[in-house]
Amino acid sequence: MPSLASKWASPPTRTPLIENLVSGVDRYNPSNVSILEDYLYHQTRSEEYDCLANLAILKLYQFNPDLYNPDVVIYILIKALTSAPFPDFNLCISLLDERPAATNPDEPDPLPTLLPILTSLYNLLQQCRFPAFWALYRSDEAETLRDNYTVECVGFENAVREVVIRAVKAAFTRIGSERLGAYLDLSGGDLTAYVESLGWSIDPATEVIAVPPNPDNHIESTVVQENIQLPQLSKIITHATQNARGAL
Amino acid sequence: MAQQVAFAQIPDVVKRFIVHFHQAVLDNNLAEITVAYESGWNRLTEKFYAKTEWPEAEVIAPLVNDDQIFLILYRELYYRHVYSRLQPDIDDRFHSYENSCELFNYLLNSDGPVQLELPEQWLWDIIDEFIYQYQSFCVWRSKVKSKTDEELILLADANQVWSSYSVLNVLYSLIQKSKINEHLVALQEGKSAEEIAEIVGEYGVKPLYRMLGYFSIIGLLRVHSLLGDFTLALKVMENVELNQRSPFTRVTACHVTTYYYVGFCYIMLRRYPDAIRAFVSILNFILRMRQYHTRSYQYDQINKTADRMYALFAICNALSPMRSDDNISNIVKERYGEQFAKMSRGEEGIPAFEELFVYACPKFISANPPPYEDPEQLAAHMEDPPVEPVQRHLALFLSEVRAQAPVPTLRSFLKLYASLDAKKLANFLDADEEEMVQQMMVMKQASRSVSRVENEKGLLDGQMISTSDLDFVINENMVHIAESTVGRRYAGWFIRNTEHAQRVFDTLRNSSLPAPPPKSTAQSAPANGANESATPAPRTGGQRVAWGGVKVA
Repeated sequence: MPSLASKWASPPTRTPLIENLVSGVDRYNPSNVSILEDYLYHQTRSEEYDCLANLAILKLYQFNPDLYNPDVVIYILIKALTSAPFPDFNLCISLLDERPAATNPDEPDPLPTLLPILTSLYNLLQQCRFPAFWALYRSDEAETLRDNYTVECVGFENAVREVVIRAVKAAFTRIGSERLGAYLDLSGGDLTAYVESLGWSIDPATEVIAVPPNPDNHIESTVVQENIQLPQLSKIITHATQNARGAL
Repeated sequence: MAQQVAFAQIPDVVKRFIVHFHQAVLDNNLAEITVAYESGWNRLTEKFYAKTEWPEAEVIAPLVNDDQIFLILYRELYYRHVYSRLQPDIDDRFHSYENSCELFNYLLNSDGPVQLELPEQWLWDIIDEFIYQYQSFCVWRSKVKSKTDEELILLADANQVWSSYSVLNVLYSLIQKSKINEHLVALQEGKSAEEIAEIVGEYGVKPLYRMLGYFSIIGLLRVHSLLGDFTLALKVMENVELNQRSPFTRVTACHVTTYYYVGFCYIMLRRYPDAIRAFVSILNFILRMRQYHTRSYQYDQINKTADRMYALFAICNALSPMRSDDNISNIVKERYGEQFAKMSRGEEGIPAFEELFVYACPKFISANPPPYEDPEQLAAHMEDPPVEPVQRHLALFLSEVRAQAPVPTLRSFLKLYASLDAKKLANFLDADEEEMVQQMMVMKQASRSVSRVENEKGLLDGQMISTSDLDFVINENMVHIAESTVGRRYAGWFIRNTEHAQRVFDTLRNSSLPAPPPKSTAQSAPANGANESATPAPRTGGQRVAWGGVKVA
């Protein structure tokens, strides 16, 4: 079974064409940028995600500033926001070299205004401050982001909820429905339906939700015993055999 | 005329050296080339050229029958000397680029593989220096203010010089020509020497191309790191196995560089356990080989890199506290104990993270030059200079650190209890209960990390592991805590003392009878007599002796 990180580094949905671009030297060819950009747009419509392919776009932008397309960058960052437990968002930012302010006044670059909001949203998710995340996301400040961008990313809000569920599953065995509702930005029937879709159960009397056991929310005290590896002793054994030879 | 004057001024011993050096290169005599390269050149530099350039290649050309290939190699050394001992001016920077291009052009675009052979150490130094000069140029180029008018004009015209594309092009071409990736895969599949020769073709069978190919992979790791592409940096290493037994690890400087950048990339990927493992492995290697290498001309450089890795280790250990190698932890405590203590205290430790990160990180560069070709934009650029690359990467790193800033405090409280009420814990912390619960989720996430567990193919692969000895779970409002403790460890103590006893025994056995008056220092300078005779006098990548021998056993 492919490991968590191998699915991240090469998602099963990646086509051979894209794989060739991600892993080969064709990734540096500026004329391939549109293939990768189309693939990104496909990701926004299909709830698929391919971090390395998107980084390849940013790499082309880094080397060829003329190719820069702010909308593409914003979509890449939105997709990267919800890629827990991987730090994709910062990996993407890391490739955004400083660029001169937009040269064309007719088409203002939306990235400089949206980047601080996206960064704040990312930090709130990192800090598990989920209610604050939703508050900022739903605020007037983020209106452009919602109306022009996240609306185009199919399943964005559910992707955020998956990040929440990851964190909750690891830390809780039982959680109050009010608290979980605030994390998920869901209440009433929506919350019940969502929780049921996860296969979790709500106690109707106490409104407490039981989180099924998993390796992260199952804890146990253990004593770790020392495990001595042969290589640790190799110096001593070598010395002993050399000496034995020397003695003969 | 001027050349003849310059020629006349060259000391005879230098002339003889150059003639001899040239002959060794013509003969492909690796032993002689190594002596000239590693000791002759450095000795004469100290004696005659400590503060000035070596004679220009055109001046010494008559000594080597105008051998263009040798002159390219000579210039390689000439410019390296300028960069390391003197201040390269813009002409040096442009010309060293041209010379590198000529060298790689000769290697890559001759009619078939060239017959030249060079010592591995030199081949590594060629790649290493090529990237260093590129990085140095990028940094120098980014400082617009200090440029003279003449430099501004030259830079406006020269956007191909030391461009990222040209540097990557060289490295990828060497990798492809040598088929080094195919070679590495074939080795892992256990193919025979004949099969490998078949696979890698006429270039790859030659040590020169094979080693340049391998060093170029490491070069890519470094270039991608400098440009902030940490995933790609590790991805190009896909076929390289990180261990000390591979036939490609004989050049110590290359080995150290590899681990430094791999470890650093792991930090930026938030994979602290993997970073720690990389640093522990190489730092132990450096400790072990120290006794054999104190006089190597690279020793200083390796030591500096090692010190930066101790700093990075301290960072990782603060972010992901786990028990690891005692030796290394103790040295870190000595060197960075103060910063480590601060970093383990959350928010107030941020300046310590910053200090160590800036000290120990690679010298980041921007991929693109300031707009020298456009005076108007250049003026705007000077007016409002962009954030320096290192500051951008620092900010990103600190955002990860800040996200888990509450963890150390929470940890210290949780350690005291088996279970406690969330409200009570919030009271202790003087925090809002809901906020505190959210911080608990952060703590949980910080105690998990993606990590290579065993034998994963490629450095990017890995699984989720738990990295903390302290674990907890929240049952509605009740926090339950479990701690894993480590049983007492004996092995290190017994191993150290056994080794010590062996040394004492050796010393005793090797001393002549009747015993001379005992010296108290005799024990700390153990007689490695048996090993010493096995170490060849000129260092030809001799660390094989230091470490390979032990490991193979």
